[in-house]
Amino acid sequence: MEQKPPNQTLGRTGLTGSPEGIGGTAPRFARRFFVLRGDVPRWQAVLVGALCIAICFGFWWIVTAGQPENRFLGPTVLPSPSETFATFPTLWFDRALTRNTLVTLKRVALGFALAAVVGVPIGVICGCFRRVAAFFAPLTIVGRNIPVAALIPLTFSLFGIGEIQKIMFIFIACVAFVISDTAGAIADIGTQYLDTALTLGARPRQIILKVLVPLALPSVFNSLRVLFGLAFGYIMLAELVKFGGEAGGLGDIIITSQRRGQREHILLVLMIIPMVALALDRLLFTLQRSLFPHRYGGAGLLWRLVCAGLHAWESLKLLFWRHGAAAPVAVNSGDASRPSA
Amino acid sequence: MTSAAGQPALTTTDSATRLVGMSQVLERPRTSAEVALPIVVEFRKVTKTYGLGGPNPYTAIKDVTFVVEDVPNKGEFVCVLGPSGCGKSTILRLIAGLAPQHPPTSGAVLVQGAPVAAPGADRGMVFQDYTSFDHRTVLDNVTFGLECQGVPRRQRHDLGRWWIRRVGLREADESKYPHQLSGGMRQRVAIARTLILRPRIILMDEPFGALDPQTRMHMQDLLIALWREVQATVFFVTHSIEEAVFLGDRAYVMSNSPGTILREMVIEPADRPAKEMRREARFQETVGYLRDLISELEEGQ
Repeated sequence: MEQKPPNQTLGRTGLTGSPEGIGGTAPRFARRFFVLRGDVPRWQAVLVGALCIAICFGFWWIVTAGQPENRFLGPTVLPSPSETFATFPTLWFDRALTRNTLVTLKRVALGFALAAVVGVPIGVICGCFRRVAAFFAPLTIVGRNIPVAALIPLTFSLFGIGEIQKIMFIFIACVAFVISDTAGAIADIGTQYLDTALTLGARPRQIILKVLVPLALPSVFNSLRVLFGLAFGYIMLAELVKFGGEAGGLGDIIITSQRRGQREHILLVLMIIPMVALALDRLLFTLQRSLFPHRYGGAGLLWRLVCAGLHAWESLKLLFWRHGAAAPVAVNSGDASRPSA
Repeated sequence: MTSAAGQPALTTTDSATRLVGMSQVLERPRTSAEVALPIVVEFRKVTKTYGLGGPNPYTAIKDVTFVVEDVPNKGEFVCVLGPSGCGKSTILRLIAGLAPQHPPTSGAVLVQGAPVAAPGADRGMVFQDYTSFDHRTVLDNVTFGLECQGVPRRQRHDLGRWWIRRVGLREADESKYPHQLSGGMRQRVAIARTLILRPRIILMDEPFGALDPQTRMHMQDLLIALWREVQATVFFVTHSIEEAVFLGDRAYVMSNSPGTILREMVIEPADRPAKEMRREARFQETVGYLRDLISELEEGQ
């Protein structure tokens, strides 16, 4: 055991005499576990996370173990794990879990896409022009600080009780955050990039499209990903408050299960929601990595695709409407090839 | 008022001059009446005060007056030296036309006879911070200015590749992103990106400030070689006295709070490698003179 120099620091040589000694192993484990900001191998991270889940389930199992009358928590309060998972087939088949999940996802995606399509351009303009930002400031401040739940009744009277209401609710809940996050991302781009572009002869429109927006995009995309998680939370709110019949969606399953007294289904849906959210988040993060290789490394396939598209667009533009700037510069670059002579 | 053809003029003026090592010291900067050649940059009593009318206004430079001649087929290499905070960068950014230094509070900044109105590609600038655009490859960074002018892609990429090789980067580097490059390589990209536009004036704000001494010397030699080719007037702000004496044809020494130009110096051109020139006694004499002058200024504040 004394042949392990990597773990052996000078001050600890005295302890190596009895490697099995409890006094030696406990601090060593602690020291290896609690490394200040140290890296963790992926398998360990997964293992530690799984341990947390196991502890939660273990606790759940303990408080609901035994015959119904002997439990800490009776079956009417909290069903046991086995009872809960036994109802999964009925949730899957009778309650159309997949279809309802997709219904919920569609609402979030549409509402959020609308918020992004409206919010990102406005945010970009706000980030570029302080006066525009000042104009939108009241709207974004109200939008970010209003309790969104309080908007539900209003959305019913404005957009009816159908799908439009839920989509618009997500839009209203998110758009202010999208605007201010995007504006912030643009404003965070250092002035030195602006100065550089200016001294290279870029015009304001070119600076916005070729410098500010591309530089801010990774951070914009990141905040969109985080906000998407928020939107997923809001859609539950919109689905839980409903008028009359089956509106569909995961929130609808929860509220109907509550009325029917099926706590098992509520618990299952509560477990499924984070899993769906996590899967979406990972999917978006993969997209993000692929879009911004300059930020995250890797091959950046999507980014290359975007670049190829931009190049094609540039060639098309030159082909179809040869704008005046191209001609005089061609002379200039001929002149610039002089040094090769 | 005489100048040998093509040489930076060792001008005799009315003000007192004396020789120090490989340089000639003028007690005050020349004015437009004292130069023979056409003028490329002129400052006329330029003052810049920030927060004017506010609770604590700050004057960065005060009554700065100087002229830089347009030496035919060459352009001068002008270094700006001085203690920190004396407004060296302010002078550069006023020539570039960059906010918030531009516009000056009073006085006039003239480039080729016309007041500076806005930044432009005719006055290229290399910054101390690494300002390569993170989302663009080296090649796309170098060709950014041409892209803004609407030069077709193949044409600008051909030119870009030529310049990438010219500043000493390898062909494999052209598709790399800035974060994959070292500090020296990033500054090479910045230089190529500026020179590809063939600016009339090149402004360099401590471009090698963050580089290690060895890289710095290589970059100095490279810069001199490139400058000979592009024939532009270079303004080079630096903290390093050796750098200024090696690179400069002319140097302005500034004092601080508020910044003014204290001395103008005409220095022998850098016609031999940095390593050799630095060993000469006359080089060291000039460096010593400047070092004393600047530390005197720093103590005086």
